[in-house]
Amino acid sequence: MSVLLGLLWPLERFNTAILAVGRVIAVLALAIMVALILGQVFFRYVLSDAPNWTEEGARFGMLWMTGLMAPLAFRMGGFVSIDMLERALPRMISGLLTLLLLGIALWVLIIAWDRGLNNHVDTLSGRGCSSSLKWPFGFEYGKCGNKFQNNYQYASLWVGVNLLILVNIELIIRQIIKLMGRGADLNPLGADDFQGAD
Amino acid sequence: MLLWFLPLFLVLIMIGLPVVFALLASPFALIMLEGDNRNVVAGLYRNLYNGMDSFPLMALPFFMLAGEIMNRGGITLRLVEFSQAFMGHLRGGLAHVNILSSMLFAGLSGSAVADTSALGSTLIPAMEKNGYTRRFAAAITAASSVIGPIIPPSGIMIIYAYVMGESVASLFLAGIVPGILVGGGLMVMVRLMADRYDLPKAERIVTRNQEISQVEYWVSFALLRINVAGVLLAIYSGLSVSVGLAAINEAGDKVHSLNLWIVFVGLLIISHFMLMNYRTRVSHDFRIVCKKAIAPLQTPIIILGGILVGVFTPTEASAVAVAYALIVSFFVLRSMKLRDLSEVLTKSALATSAVLLLVGAAVAFKTVVSLSYAPQILSDYILSLSENPLMLLFLINILLFIVGMFLDAGPAIIILGPILGPIFVDLGVHPVHFAIIMSVNLTVGLATPPMGLVLFVASTVSGEKVETIARAILPFLAVEIVVIFLITYIPAISMTVPYLTGFLGCAPEIGFGACISPVPGIN
Repeated sequence: MSVLLGLLWPLERFNTAILAVGRVIAVLALAIMVALILGQVFFRYVLSDAPNWTEEGARFGMLWMTGLMAPLAFRMGGFVSIDMLERALPRMISGLLTLLLLGIALWVLIIAWDRGLNNHVDTLSGRGCSSSLKWPFGFEYGKCGNKFQNNYQYASLWVGVNLLILVNIELIIRQIIKLMGRGADLNPLGADDFQGAD
Repeated sequence: MLLWFLPLFLVLIMIGLPVVFALLASPFALIMLEGDNRNVVAGLYRNLYNGMDSFPLMALPFFMLAGEIMNRGGITLRLVEFSQAFMGHLRGGLAHVNILSSMLFAGLSGSAVADTSALGSTLIPAMEKNGYTRRFAAAITAASSVIGPIIPPSGIMIIYAYVMGESVASLFLAGIVPGILVGGGLMVMVRLMADRYDLPKAERIVTRNQEISQVEYWVSFALLRINVAGVLLAIYSGLSVSVGLAAINEAGDKVHSLNLWIVFVGLLIISHFMLMNYRTRVSHDFRIVCKKAIAPLQTPIIILGGILVGVFTPTEASAVAVAYALIVSFFVLRSMKLRDLSEVLTKSALATSAVLLLVGAAVAFKTVVSLSYAPQILSDYILSLSENPLMLLFLINILLFIVGMFLDAGPAIIILGPILGPIFVDLGVHPVHFAIIMSVNLTVGLATPPMGLVLFVASTVSGEKVETIARAILPFLAVEIVVIFLITYIPAISMTVPYLTGFLGCAPEIGFGACISPVPGIN
């Protein structure tokens, strides 16, 4: 038990810290997305000259917002599921079922991690250059010069998968601790009023 | 072999695996079992990414953000007081107010959960105080909140449009009349129950001698006149050919003999005098209550007006709605502080990120659906049940209703849309019509036991047990089921508005019937 609690302690703190940083970046990304689309409308109607990069820039922000926020939503229990069976089963069996489900989720995430890195981020297309997104102020970096490399955008989902794996491992350790009857020692993860598109 | 992914998927979600993982796990498992464990799975991952990388989908976080800002800005009480000024004096007044408030709130938020929690916390205690039972108050709040995702803007319609490749604007427009119909049906039921259970009337004005700030007064003053003049201009423009004030040129465009801006200014003056005349007939309190609701109620007008006139795409309209909500909350109503903004942004980003990942997974899932020929096999099976499309629509409504009992509308649309949509479109049901049938049916599922999301929210807000609310909601659910069947069998209910506004993509010379029915003989 002490081994599990010893494993959980640093992981929980690391996840809390990294997800807090992710939350700040995601919130900024959302604010920038709104500003870019409003700018697009303003430039089109007021200046009659809409820039060609605002749409791609806003999508860039949305992808990073999703990659950085979805793990937090997962940690807070915000991923939709039908939990009728879990509720209906006796506590011990329900706990084991939850563990099994977290195991399946981890398997999916590990496959996504591998394919994401080797078949998406690090590919010919991933190393290609963005058609419209450029560094500001004439700054140049890497082989794409002043343009963004596609994998800056592709990396959003892969980073999200990494964070989801960390959260998943944390949830697995928590679940094992709960199954061993020490659930009361765990810190609550604080799922407040979570709300989806419904 | 690949066809087994559907049963596997169902097993995984039934045992409680989050839908997003189940959407990926079942195809991953079967593709790997088939031996192709590299390229196809990599393709699925790429589709997951491509599914999220979409400009139209961006409307989802923006509409959610606009609704959150408006809600934080204290609009709920304004909408309730506005509704009460119109309907409070009727028998069962506060129940009618609850429904009307939901219809108005729907134009701002598009979320049934937000509707239940915002309106429930205001109206359920007020209804109890007025003599209603708590279970009735909670039930009508939950039942009316399903209007939220039907009347535009609507989160689930954005998702449907994206996953199925439909136009967001046409779905928004198609949802208007069904949403009003659900509200109207609920009001009729309340009226019937008011006689039977002697439901009380309420005061039309809750707070007398209310104050309104100078900024809000003048903003409302201007907005009201601009809106009335806009409506008059639309009527003028529509009638101008028949009364000879415009002609149709060779290119088919309307050529006005008068400059439309001059006409608009004239109509602005006329609307001012019309409103000044109306002002003398109503009380000071009534006017203030109405004025206080005008700025928030402008949001759906901006969204729909912008889309209809062709000024904005739905995504741009949603960003403009965010900007408008910020201006109203910070400078007009002055009900929001800068420190509230971070919480509002966090809440919207958190909620939408889970949904966007789900949509991405659905796009990956859709690829496997196509590869497995599941729609064709299911289509053959469904057609073997009956060849009568009307009977099949009846059966599909029952299936959707059962699914809605267990699964929230968004995920249900994501899962079933790619499977059922092509089958019914092949049978001759217009894609937009089927989208509305599916959206309304699954949205009503949000208020059905055992897993109705809004029932749980209504229970939390009211403190009443879910089972008690589930029993009290039955008469209202019956009304909503009737509306679902009306929408199913009378396509004109949902299709007329998008048809008249030209969003169905039919040439004007094609009649309504031919436009909504790609294959003759069903609609």
